[in-house]
Amino acid sequence: MKTETIISLENVTKRFPVGEGEFTALDHINLTFTKGEFSGLVGPSGSGKTTLLNIIGSLDVPTEGKATVIGHDIASLSHKASAKLRNHHIGFIFQVFNLLPVYTVFENVEFPLLLQNKTASERKKAVMEALDWIGLADYAKKKPNKLSGGEGQRVAIARAMVKRPEILIADEPTANLDAANAHSILKMMKKLNRELGTTFIFSTHDEKVMTYLERIIHLRDGKVELDERIKNKNQAS
Amino acid sequence: MKLALQLAYRNLVGAGLRTWLNVGVLTFAFLMIIFLNGILDGWNHQAKTDTIAWEYGNGHLLNEKYDPYDPFSIQDGHGILSEENKENLSPILLQQGSIYPEGRMVSILLKGIEVNQKTLKIPTTNFKENASAIPAIIGVNMATSTNLKIGDQVLLRWRDKNGMFDAKNIIIVDVFKTNVPTVDHGQVWIPITHLWEMTGLENHATYFVANEKFKPKAIKQWNYVSQKELLHDLDEIISMKKSSSSILYLLLLAIALLAVFDTQVLSIFRRQKEIGTYVALGMTRSQVVGLFTIEGTMYSLFATVIGCIIGVPLFWYLSKTGMAFPTSSQDMGIAMADRIYPVYGISLILGTVALVVISATIVSFLPARKIAKLNPVEALKGKIQ
Repeated sequence: MKTETIISLENVTKRFPVGEGEFTALDHINLTFTKGEFSGLVGPSGSGKTTLLNIIGSLDVPTEGKATVIGHDIASLSHKASAKLRNHHIGFIFQVFNLLPVYTVFENVEFPLLLQNKTASERKKAVMEALDWIGLADYAKKKPNKLSGGEGQRVAIARAMVKRPEILIADEPTANLDAANAHSILKMMKKLNRELGTTFIFSTHDEKVMTYLERIIHLRDGKVELDERIKNKNQAS
Repeated sequence: MKLALQLAYRNLVGAGLRTWLNVGVLTFAFLMIIFLNGILDGWNHQAKTDTIAWEYGNGHLLNEKYDPYDPFSIQDGHGILSEENKENLSPILLQQGSIYPEGRMVSILLKGIEVNQKTLKIPTTNFKENASAIPAIIGVNMATSTNLKIGDQVLLRWRDKNGMFDAKNIIIVDVFKTNVPTVDHGQVWIPITHLWEMTGLENHATYFVANEKFKPKAIKQWNYVSQKELLHDLDEIISMKKSSSSILYLLLLAIALLAVFDTQVLSIFRRQKEIGTYVALGMTRSQVVGLFTIEGTMYSLFATVIGCIIGVPLFWYLSKTGMAFPTSSQDMGIAMADRIYPVYGISLILGTVALVVISATIVSFLPARKIAKLNPVEALKGKIQ
């Protein structure tokens, strides 16, 4: 099952205009990700980690090359089609959680299901199940500003996982967390990866995260420097 | 749409004070528009009703030589109407004259009217015959300006059929209160039989006032002017007043809409990450534009609900008790009651709701269009300036 290619990047290049010139954020990237991978993009700031995640997440398109995600060519998708792809198949976890401030925990987690036009009972069942995964079922009525950093990120994980996406993109998910919370979050993600078969792709330069990854892709100046599959002590957590 | 409404409602309620400040300003504008229009409509309604009751009846049948806008036509603008055509008509004969209250000369319009007429509200039943003087009734404004009161006698001078001056005392038998200045200022009402006798113009009338049963028909030497045509000038004045007042309430609405517009612009700037998150979670850009537009529209819907909660009892109370206006406002030259009962019609309320909702939607949509061009990656970073 793990050999099924879910993401394919062929010569993906991304350039941004800077003043009168251009900045190359990604330079002919060739990578594939298989279903159920727990992998991470590692590299210094400006190496192109987030840009690559944004292209995989269909939030951005490559300047050159082809990015295929779950059979969809990202560059050829309309706004509506890419929104549908994100809504049904891709979950996002951000460094600063990006919880919607006026919604409760329940409503935040419920949001992607509202966009999928699920019924109220389906939504409630799925949300409570997702909150159970992260151990915050009792926090359903709380507002995000009443949560600690670790709790906020767990709610963000529940929001990303509630729709059971094939791919989960986590951009520096532990950057704002202390060590204990970071480990707790990573163990939870690893568990969801194993139980639900979701493909996790991280961008990180956090050593703690790297100890959980099965595959580490080192990026530097927009190029793949090293793509290694490793056996870590925390992989079985 | 249902989702956008649901989300917009959550966002607005969640935004707390920011929402309620906007709603407050819109509610104020909404209530003021209805309040001002209600007063004008009430004034309009009362002015028309009173003018019909006191002056116009169901229309006037004018002698062809008489021009209401030309005082020189009074002298010759009268005639006799055949008996078969007099049905449902009350004659009025006009003559110019002067009275001498407190030794000063005051030019007046002498109006002869039938004692037993019921078409106009002029209290002609109060004409009591007096051996020494002609019974006359005048309006409150005339009484004030001439310092005359009931029981006072004053010398009246007029020209008889030969053009010679004649004079006799009139006695004020009643002072009536009316909101219609054109039957009051500078006018003295006397029984038409006396005026016929004084001028030798027996059975003559300058014009006839038609009652509700009158059926207009072509009569030689007489021109029928319908009630609608007579009210034309009044309609024009009210319409002009409405236009000038509309500037005030459009200004109020503009201020309220500016608040909504500013909030939307600020909201889009401050909520960039939220917009990026919506897109990342699977909303299309047009859905996000729709969400922000509906949020703006919802301010006006909240304002409508709160406006109804405050406005319904307030306007109901005002329409029942009326609003007193200062005495000086009675000298405006058109019918204006000392107490105006505002009229809040369904078309006024629905029209105002539509105006507020549609304009709020437009000013919300204008800044929200920018979202369609936002780069979600930049929005997520909060980097858009």
